[in-house]
Order: sequence, then C-alpha cells, then structure tokens
Amino acid sequence: MLLDGFVRQCRLQPDALALAESDSQLTYAELLSRAQAVAAALLTRGIQTGQPVAIHIDRGMDAVVAVFGVLLAGACYVPLDLKNPSARLLFIVGDAQVKAVLGLGEVPIWLDAGLWLDIADCADALPQPVEILPAGLAAILYTSGSTGQPRGVALSHAAIAAFAGWAADLLALTPQDRIASSAPLFFDLSTFDLYAVLGAGASLHFLPAKLTLAPARLSAWLGEQAISGWYTVPSLLAFLAYKGNLAQTALASLRFLIFAGEVFPTPALIDLAAALPGTALYNFFGPTETNVCCYWPVRREQLQAGQSIPIGQPAAGCELHIDADSGELWVRGPTLASGYWRNGSLEPFLNRQGWYASGDRVSIEQGEYRFHGRLGRMLKCSGYRVEPAEIEAVANAIDGVRDCAVLGVDDPTAGQRPVLVVVLAPEMDVAGIRKVLARQLPPYMQPSRYLVLDALPRLPNGKLDYQRLKEIFDT
Amino acid sequence: MKEQLKAFIFSELIYHEDPSVFGDDDDLLEAGLDSMGIMRLIMFAEKEFGVILPDTEIEPDNVQSLNALENWIKQAPQNA
Repeated sequence: MLLDGFVRQCRLQPDALALAESDSQLTYAELLSRAQAVAAALLTRGIQTGQPVAIHIDRGMDAVVAVFGVLLAGACYVPLDLKNPSARLLFIVGDAQVKAVLGLGEVPIWLDAGLWLDIADCADALPQPVEILPAGLAAILYTSGSTGQPRGVALSHAAIAAFAGWAADLLALTPQDRIASSAPLFFDLSTFDLYAVLGAGASLHFLPAKLTLAPARLSAWLGEQAISGWYTVPSLLAFLAYKGNLAQTALASLRFLIFAGEVFPTPALIDLAAALPGTALYNFFGPTETNVCCYWPVRREQLQAGQSIPIGQPAAGCELHIDADSGELWVRGPTLASGYWRNGSLEPFLNRQGWYASGDRVSIEQGEYRFHGRLGRMLKCSGYRVEPAEIEAVANAIDGVRDCAVLGVDDPTAGQRPVLVVVLAPEMDVAGIRKVLARQLPPYMQPSRYLVLDALPRLPNGKLDYQRLKEIFDT
Repeated sequence: MKEQLKAFIFSELIYHEDPSVFGDDDDLLEAGLDSMGIMRLIMFAEKEFGVILPDTEIEPDNVQSLNALENWIKQAPQNA
C-alpha cells in the first residue's frame, strides 16, 4: 500500500535514477530488485504480515533497500539509531519483539545472531505477493518515552501514505526532481524522502555526512547535484545561511526547502530567505504521533526579527483543536499514528474525545497557528525529543542514587540540555553516575550538568517541586 | 590563543566534567561540537583575534581539535 506509488514508478520508468550515494547509483528497477531479494529472504525466514523487523542501517542506499524489502514482505520496519548505546538498542529490539534485524556485515555483539540478516547475502528472488491493508502497520519509530523507557510510535500504511501524498501534491513533485536526503530513518522526516519522493518518480541524493560540518562544500554540492528540494532541520539550514558561501554559489535548481523538528531562529531564516530569493521555504510541524499536522509556507514579507514564525495551518487533512483550559493542541486526521507499540501490542493514545492531545501549547492568530512550547516536561535536545522521565528512570536504577530529577536548561547550540539533580549515597559520586548513563543513554540524553543536593524539594502532596528545583539550579 | 579557545568552548559550547584533562589533540567533534557550536566558535574567534575565517575553510579538519583550530586561525588573514 505505502509502496504503491514506488511500484507504479518502477513500471513507468524502470531505468530512471532512484537513488544516488557518492559514486553509486540505483535505478528504480535495480532498487526494486534488491528490495525484492530482501523481501524474499524475510518470507523464507517465516516473517508474517505486520511483524516488526528492525533496520540496523541509519541512512543511505542500503537503508532504503532494507526498508523497501521489509514493506514488500508485508512486515513493519523498526529503524534503529546506531548512536544509541547497546543497552537501549537491546530494549527497543525486545520491546518491539522484532522477528529479524536487517543490517550489513558483522552481527552487532549485543544482538542474538539468530535474528541477523545481512542484506548483502540476499540472493535475487521474487517474493510471493502479500496483501497489505491500509490499517496495517508500516513502521514503528522509537522516541523518548514519558513512562521512563523508549516508546514506539506505530504508524500505519495509510497514515504515512496520507502525509506522503499530501506533501507530494503540495510541492508538485515530478520525475524531474532531484531531492537531497539527510534524515536518518528513525526521524519521521525520512518518510518524505522514501514515499513522497520515490512515489513521485523523482531521485534521492544522499548528502555525504561530512558536508554537514563543511557549509561551503555543502552548498556547492547542492548546486553541482542540481538539487531541486530538501527536507531537513533548521540547524543545518541556519549553518548554510550564515556560513554556506551562498552569495557565491548558484543554486538555480533549488525549488524548495522544508524544515521541521526545531524552531527556526527568525534572524537566520531572514538571511536564508534573502540568499535564496527563488526558493520556496516551508515550516512543517508535528510530533511523530501526527507526522505533520500543521505547515506554514514561509511568507517573506511576514518575517520580522524578534518575532517567532507561525506553524501555520492544518496539513494533510488534519483537524486541529485548541483545548480551552490548557491551550493544548489536539489533533485528529488521516496522518495520525495507530498508537504506541508496547511489548508487542498496540496501545491506543487518543483522549476520551477521540483526539490526540499533543502536549504542545499553541494559539491561533489571524487564522495561523503559533507554537508556544511544551505543556509537559518534554525537552528538545539537538532536535531529538527527550523525556526527563526516561533519564530519571535510568538514574534511579543506579545503586547509590537515592533520589533524582531532570530539568531542562536552555542552550544556544542544542536548544535545550538536560541537567540531573541528584541525591547521592556516601559511596557514590557524579563520575560514577556519568559512567552508567553513558552506557545506557544516547549522547543527546546525557545530562550536561550535575547538581548534588542533600534532598530534593517536595510539595506538601509529596510530588517533586520542579519550580523550586529550577530556582535552586539557577542560583 | 589555545587557552582562550578552550575556555570559550568548554564554558559556552560543550560541557565537560574536567576540561583540564582534555588534550590539545583530543577530538572536539566527538566531544559534541556541532554545526551550531562551530558557528558560534567562528564568531568568537573572528572577534577575539581580529581574523577573517572564510566560509570555504570551515571543514571538519580545521575544527577537529584545539591544535587544528589554532593552526587554522593563525594562518587566517587579519581583518583590516
């Protein structure tokens, strides 16, 4: 279902370029045939429709082959963030109850070798066609969970297809488009690249990883590759705007840039808009649970330094509602996830009124929605969602930690960073905690500061007094 | 110069438990220096040392370590 567009393109233009990564290329027909080999190998292993299969490849050509192989087999893919420590990957593989792990080369040491399937070993074969229902699960994307553990957001074929179809129409994608790709699979941004772009018959060009730290070569690459569109994060585009030598670089082919995942600092956006007068800019907004539920085509005349940009209007057929009591954004519509995946089954996440309560505080002014931060404790660190509860759960499990709480502090480079406030037993020290956290949490979840207290401030009802804690930290 | 860079990096850009153990050839990128951090570091260095660091020279190799940074800044043209 989700791959219907791609499969149609394979029939219409089998020899057209689908993927390009440094010196390698795959046509639509070649990509299909490699994905079919993976699908056939999975079916031979007994993988059944809807079963989760993990992908141990971050991004790039092989990652697409693996994902499409999973989907052609009717299974559901679970992308892994390879920068995660093995303890967290092991949790995700266990929680998702994956039936296989697709990768390249050596089996990772933490993994049961029986689950490993090297996509390079999959021989050419045609898989048996499987029936895929729109409500069937296509992907489970793990994010940080407020329950103290990573949490899988389960997306159906129909939900991802609704977003991809809407985005392809909005941007009027055609087979002539050449789209840059930088998002790893575990970020929902990647669904645009995989399904909107390849469903429209355009080609995907993987950005060499090193260029994200070499802005002038990055803009030169966009020009040389005649890139026509790119969906990425604000921090990379701000780097490009300030340091990308854009004045000396011709980017005549660049029709559009889309950004999401963080708030784009307005001064940087003003510079980017001025440097690229012929490029349409779009702000996409939505937690992973909604994929994208709101969007704002950047109106240059509306950009004003010192004023944040709107998140705009409902996207992809979503309905939005602002809860009168809390100002919280509620969403329902075709792009919504099916629920959270926990221990091999689906948990619904709609509230009693049938909406997904996003936890984002928004307002509406002159028909445009505006984002005002989070209601709950969730932090955004370097573009990643971080639930303080997940760090607290890991820290509380350490011998010698008597009590702890995580706060977020604003950080000019990362957005926010977590701070761990902790009460220690005499035999424990901060270095000891750091060591354990480094083994169990990914880099963006590591506390950037530690504050040791004799006791945590509590409210009369026994709950942590975060207000007071923040005051103590600030002094 | 290296000391000034180091003080700025570890007070403003990267948190490190004990910057005194961070060596001049240790990997800043691995320690968490990212694109936003590089941008602020360049602004700091241009102001502090009166140099111009051209966009085309912003490369992982030039910001990999404190020594690499120092070499890069020392050969950069002065802002007239």
